[in-house]
Amino acid sequence: MTDLNQIDLRSLAAGHKRTWDAFVLAASPLINAVARRALSTHRLSEDDVMDAAQDVFVRLCANDFRLLKTYDPARAGLSTWLAVVARSAAVDFVRRRRQATAPIDEVPETALAVEDRHVEKLRIPDGLLTERQALILKFLYDEERDVSEIAQMLKIDAQTVRSTHHKALIRLREHFREESS
Amino acid sequence: MSTQRTPKSDKELWQSLALGQEAAPAAISDNAFAAWLEGRLPEAEAARVEAAVTRDAALRTAAIELADILGKPLPPPPARMAARAQALVGGGAAGRSGAPRGSWWPTSLLSGLLPSFDSGFALQRGVMAGVAVIVAAVGFTMGGGLGKSFVERRYASAEPSALSRSISDTSQQLNDLFADSI
Repeated sequence: MTDLNQIDLRSLAAGHKRTWDAFVLAASPLINAVARRALSTHRLSEDDVMDAAQDVFVRLCANDFRLLKTYDPARAGLSTWLAVVARSAAVDFVRRRRQATAPIDEVPETALAVEDRHVEKLRIPDGLLTERQALILKFLYDEERDVSEIAQMLKIDAQTVRSTHHKALIRLREHFREESS
Repeated sequence: MSTQRTPKSDKELWQSLALGQEAAPAAISDNAFAAWLEGRLPEAEAARVEAAVTRDAALRTAAIELADILGKPLPPPPARMAARAQALVGGGAAGRSGAPRGSWWPTSLLSGLLPSFDSGFALQRGVMAGVAVIVAAVGFTMGGGLGKSFVERRYASAEPSALSRSISDTSQQLNDLFADSI
């Protein structure tokens, strides 16, 4: 099977059938995995996974391969870009499917509930945390992700995540201690 | 009794705070997001993407999921997934999907009319057309061709005069019969 990196992008964007077929074979495992993962929390069927994946391919070749032509090889690898595009298409697919098929009676009440609670939060001043520090705190405390997961995503080592987290907390504590004293 | 506040845990502290810039985050292009996932963005642009990811829960989920998928070996997809996708380009589907045609008009005109010869679909079309020609030729031969149909047509055109001749013979015989009896 052809590797995604061996695909001739110019030939692909020109609509050559052979290149498209090779591209489909090379991209199917990734698009399948992304669509499957995006649909996994929505209890959709195997046919839905197939349709979501087909949606991705349709998007790629629609309007004279317009979406595919926006890919910039100088910025990112084709696999990563394709994964981003596939996930976006799969999320849209889920949204459309849920709008079309979910009667309100079947939606659990917890999903419709609105929390009757308004808590005024202290605002972190702009510039107190770097974007990376804020992101790491979000992942750790709001998303409850592991340090290793965050490290893998940010392409840094786990120790760097820990030290960034630590520095961010020191800044926050110092700032709000000063404010309260 | 102590008046000192119980120190908050790190998580409680974070959850009691709100990030600034509550306005909608700037849109991040697919290329920028992919480049950020690969750690290939310069610092300033990476900070812009990270600001957007920090403020958008959907982007955070996407980042975690994609990093996980891209870091693992992928399971094989169902066979019909590739077959369906391959059918989107080539043959008649090329026009529907917007696949490009030739660069100058006769080529583009012909590419719309003729099958694309780099596909199995073209071969299938050719075979079907050949079979249709053979069936037509065999049928034509079995029917006797042009000569027989021409003769049949001549006989058919001759039939009305024979009929009128037999009618006139009958009326002559009736006349004779009545004349004899008188």
